[in-house]
Amino acid sequence: MADQSQNKAVQTTGHAWDGDLQEFNNPLPTWWLWAFYASCVFTVVYWILYPAWPIGDTYTKGIATTTFQNSKGEEVTMGWNTRAEFIKDMQSGTEAMKQAEYLKKVSAASYEEIVNDPDMTAFTQSIAKVLFADNCAACHGVGGQPALVGLYPNLRDDAWLWGGKLSQIQHAIVAGRNGYMPAFGEVLSNEKIDQVANYVMTLSGLDADAAKASAGKAIFQGDEGGCYYCHTSAGTGMYSQGAANLTDAVWTVANVPGAETNKDKIAVISKVIKDGIQRKMPAWSERLSETEIKLLTVYVHGLGGGQ
Amino acid sequence: MAHGAVAADTQYNYDIIKKFAIMALVWGVLGMSAGTYIAAELAFPFLNFDIAQITFGRLRPVHTTLVIFGFGGSALFATSYYIVQRTCQTPLISKGLAEFTFWGWQGGILLGVLGYMNGITDGKEYAEFPWYLDIAIAVVWVAYFIVFVGTLRRRSQPHIYVANWFFLAFILATAILHIGRNIAVPVGLFNTSAYGVYSGVQDAMVQWWYGHNAVGFFLTAAFLGMMYYFVPKQAGRPIYSYRLSIIHFWALGFMYMWVGGHHLHWTALPDWTSSLAAAFSILLLLPSWGGMINGIMTLSGAWDKLRTDPIMLFMITALSFYGMSTFEGPMMSLKSVNALSHYTDWTIGHVHSGALGWVAMITFGSFYHLIPRLWETRIWSQSLIYVHFWLATIGIVLYIAAMWVSGIGQGLMLRAFDDYGNLAYTFVETVTFMHWPLVVRMLGGMFFVAGILTMVFNVYMTIRTAKQEQAAIEAKIAAKMAKA
Repeated sequence: MADQSQNKAVQTTGHAWDGDLQEFNNPLPTWWLWAFYASCVFTVVYWILYPAWPIGDTYTKGIATTTFQNSKGEEVTMGWNTRAEFIKDMQSGTEAMKQAEYLKKVSAASYEEIVNDPDMTAFTQSIAKVLFADNCAACHGVGGQPALVGLYPNLRDDAWLWGGKLSQIQHAIVAGRNGYMPAFGEVLSNEKIDQVANYVMTLSGLDADAAKASAGKAIFQGDEGGCYYCHTSAGTGMYSQGAANLTDAVWTVANVPGAETNKDKIAVISKVIKDGIQRKMPAWSERLSETEIKLLTVYVHGLGGGQ
Repeated sequence: MAHGAVAADTQYNYDIIKKFAIMALVWGVLGMSAGTYIAAELAFPFLNFDIAQITFGRLRPVHTTLVIFGFGGSALFATSYYIVQRTCQTPLISKGLAEFTFWGWQGGILLGVLGYMNGITDGKEYAEFPWYLDIAIAVVWVAYFIVFVGTLRRRSQPHIYVANWFFLAFILATAILHIGRNIAVPVGLFNTSAYGVYSGVQDAMVQWWYGHNAVGFFLTAAFLGMMYYFVPKQAGRPIYSYRLSIIHFWALGFMYMWVGGHHLHWTALPDWTSSLAAAFSILLLLPSWGGMINGIMTLSGAWDKLRTDPIMLFMITALSFYGMSTFEGPMMSLKSVNALSHYTDWTIGHVHSGALGWVAMITFGSFYHLIPRLWETRIWSQSLIYVHFWLATIGIVLYIAAMWVSGIGQGLMLRAFDDYGNLAYTFVETVTFMHWPLVVRMLGGMFFVAGILTMVFNVYMTIRTAKQEQAAIEAKIAAKMAKA
């Protein structure tokens, strides 16, 4: 662009404001004008190709089209629209087709076939990683290990509240689980709760006050506490009730490993006995497809201690 | 130069301009600091300390309100009152009404942000003010309109200077947008909540009609008005092309209103609405560049000033960022690009290349021109203007580059597939990836805040010096009077 101060041909508009504010009357830069025309042409072409202008209660459909298969398997061609583009992409896109092929194979296969076929196992690992992270990891943690002991079950160890068989895991995902233990603060005194907690310590082989543990055992195994109804006389728990095994030194609610002294460990156990437990895992059958649940079942089963 | 006579400065109402200018800087420091803090919260979430009032959700509207309406709005009040007086050579028609706009605007912003921190919000982006403040702001805005148009009508010459066209378009469009977006039925006279009149996808469309035109008229047209006065003034050169200013003014005014739908691509918005918006966004590119060309070409013949005048550096950088972000915007409004960029930090980076690069930089440049003239002195330190310029520029570059990495990176990760046709990454993996770009963005924000703090110090020293000079002159006069 030429230096306008030397260009005597360019005139100002003849107006001046605030002393020295003036305007040259330069023509529109040629490149700018042509670029503007080009953008107008682009726009008009765009409007001809795609749905664009409202007319009454309808709109111009554009001449671009999208072809896809409807639910009856018939080929449908309609005016370009994002919904149809999405359906088409899911039906014929390279990645979608690869995935669909595997999904078909997996949904027809039994659990055994999936687990014993390296290719299907690899596919399951790949797809379930994302399924798990987007749906399950918020509670169970990335990779199945929650950040804190107590809030949500760890899926990486071999301790199972509701059983670790494929069918049991699948049921948990499909229907959800209601983890419930009554609050004994209503029926047992603090002293008695402390005694039961001491007994629970001994079940996992931890040091406890022998006299208290003995009194606690009577409560646990007798009708006063009735703990054995669900946790069994041996303290090994019951899958049908979601009752924890108290003898394996794996703690799912009371953060015993996080408590430093024995006194603290007993305190966290006492708290659970006193307040009870109410945990809920939602049912996923509404949100995930049968195949997705199947894939997640295999994935969770394989995380640590599938039975 | 029949119309060129300069009226005595003393007859202009500078007091109101000084107040708005100072408040622009106050809100600027607070708003940009709030922005940097929430940027830090995104990189280091523990920083919300579980205090509801300072969580991201509460502080984010505090940040946007303070920088757009507090800093940007006060700067526009200040410069528009200055420009309309000087280019019409007449004082504001009503000192009282102008005072009312000052106290009304500042009060609205203060009450608004205190409310946000305590959970009182409409929940509409950039229009979070509750209904009673919406009404108060509408009243203040009408007063602003009366003062501005009344002053224009009293101009001493037939032609209205181009800067004033842009300001008037901004005042009119902002009124329409504010009322259109906020129209609602309060739950009760003593209840802070209100039911909006729109619902569903219509509400979303109204939201982005409002949101994008807030960008178009508040953050673009009005600041072009600022540019059209301060750039030729500082360069000592006439505006490059009167014709270009007419064309791009009307093109901007006409086209901006159509483009809001590009914020809602691939949603429940009908396809025709979204492609109409995309097409108008492409049409908007060249008219936007018209403003940039007119600013940059005004400097043609005065390029040497870039070596000696840091204010020119601010202005030319502002125009460059304006050109860059108005190119980036239309590209992002295309559906295929938008499929990658939408819901990622790329959008945040784009907004800030406009907000920091264009809006804030042109304001800083204009203020360095304006403030010494308001207080009738020289800027206290020319070197500190250079310091501010480099702090701000480094800050912007860090910010935008970090957001490109974060946004485009996340967009690509979310659409990556593995050998089985499965999604390769989980959402949380993209969040982990974004950590370092978010840290760099926070650093960029810190640079920018350091820049405006440098400016505040420089302005404070300038005003203090001006007052000392004034006192010295008065003492001299008094001494002479005593002798006489």
